[in-house]
Amino acid sequence: MKFSLACQALILAAFSLLPGVGQAIYFRDKISWQSPVPASEMVTVVQARAWGGNAIWVDARPDNEFARDHVPGALSLNEDRWGELLPLFLAEWSPEKKIVVYCSSQGCNASREVARRLHNEAQLKNVFVLEGGWEEWLKKK
Amino acid sequence: MTSATSNIKYQTSNIPQFVWRIVDVIIAAVFIYAGAIKALDPVQFAHDIDNYKILPWTVGAGLAFYLPWLEIFCGLALIVRRLYLGGLSILTALISVFLVATIAAKVRGLDITCGCFGHASQHWNFSAHLTLDLLLLGALIILLLRSGRDFRSAWQILNDQET
Repeated sequence: MKFSLACQALILAAFSLLPGVGQAIYFRDKISWQSPVPASEMVTVVQARAWGGNAIWVDARPDNEFARDHVPGALSLNEDRWGELLPLFLAEWSPEKKIVVYCSSQGCNASREVARRLHNEAQLKNVFVLEGGWEEWLKKK
Repeated sequence: MTSATSNIKYQTSNIPQFVWRIVDVIIAAVFIYAGAIKALDPVQFAHDIDNYKILPWTVGAGLAFYLPWLEIFCGLALIVRRLYLGGLSILTALISVFLVATIAAKVRGLDITCGCFGHASQHWNFSAHLTLDLLLLGALIILLLRSGRDFRSAWQILNDQET
C-alpha cells in the first residue's frame, strides 16, 4: 500500500509539473523571480520625499487607518473600495507625476497590490512602492 | 429469503458507497475550482503566498505556478478514481500545510489576504478560513482512512484467493 500510495502521489506530482513549467515559461516576463516588487519599483522615504510635488502619495491601508493618520496630501486608494476610490485618484493624477504607494509596514501586501493594479489595470507608469510603508515614514518624520 | 437478504445487503452496502462518491466529487470540485482560479492568475497567487512570510519569494513564485495544477490534477484523480490514494494523500498534505501556515500567520499577526481560493477569498475572516480548512481536512482524512481500509480488504481477498 505504501508503495502504491507513494507511486500514485509521485505520478500526480510529475503530471502537475508539466503545465506548471509551461505556465512559468509563459509568464516569465510578467513576474519578477528575485523579489515581489522589482528593485526598480521600490522607493525609500528619503527618495520619495525628494520628489516633492512631483509625487502623488497613495495610502493603500484600510479607510479607518487612513482616517486616523496619513502622509500629508496622500490619497486613499485601497482594494476594499477600489472602484469607488480609483476615479477620485485619477482626477488628481497627471502623467508626469510619480506615484508612491504605501501600506502599514514592510510586511504588508496592500501597497504591492494597489501598485500592481495601478500598473496593470489602470495602465499607469511611474508607480513605486514605499519601502517600510507608513511605519518607516513615521520613523523618518 | 436468501435473495432478499442479499438484496438488502447489496442496497445497504451501496448507499454509503454512493454517499462517499458524492463526498469525493464535492471535495474534488472544491480543489479543482480553487486550483483553477489560482492558475488563472499565478502572479497574484505568488503575492498571496509571499504574504505568509514563510518562504523566500523565489520559492513562493515557483510554487504559485505548480500548486494550482497539483490541486487540479489531484481533484481530477478523485473524480475519475485513478491514482485516487495518491490524490487524496497529496490533498491531505496540502490542506494540512495550509492550515498550519494560516494559524502561524494569525499567531504572528500577519494580515492574510490569501485563502484556499487565492485572492478570491481575500475578504474572508480567519474563522471562515479555519472552518473551511478543517472541514476539508476532516473529509479528506475520512476518505483516506476509508480508501486505505478498502485497499487492505481487496489485498486480503486477493491473498486469500491465492492461498
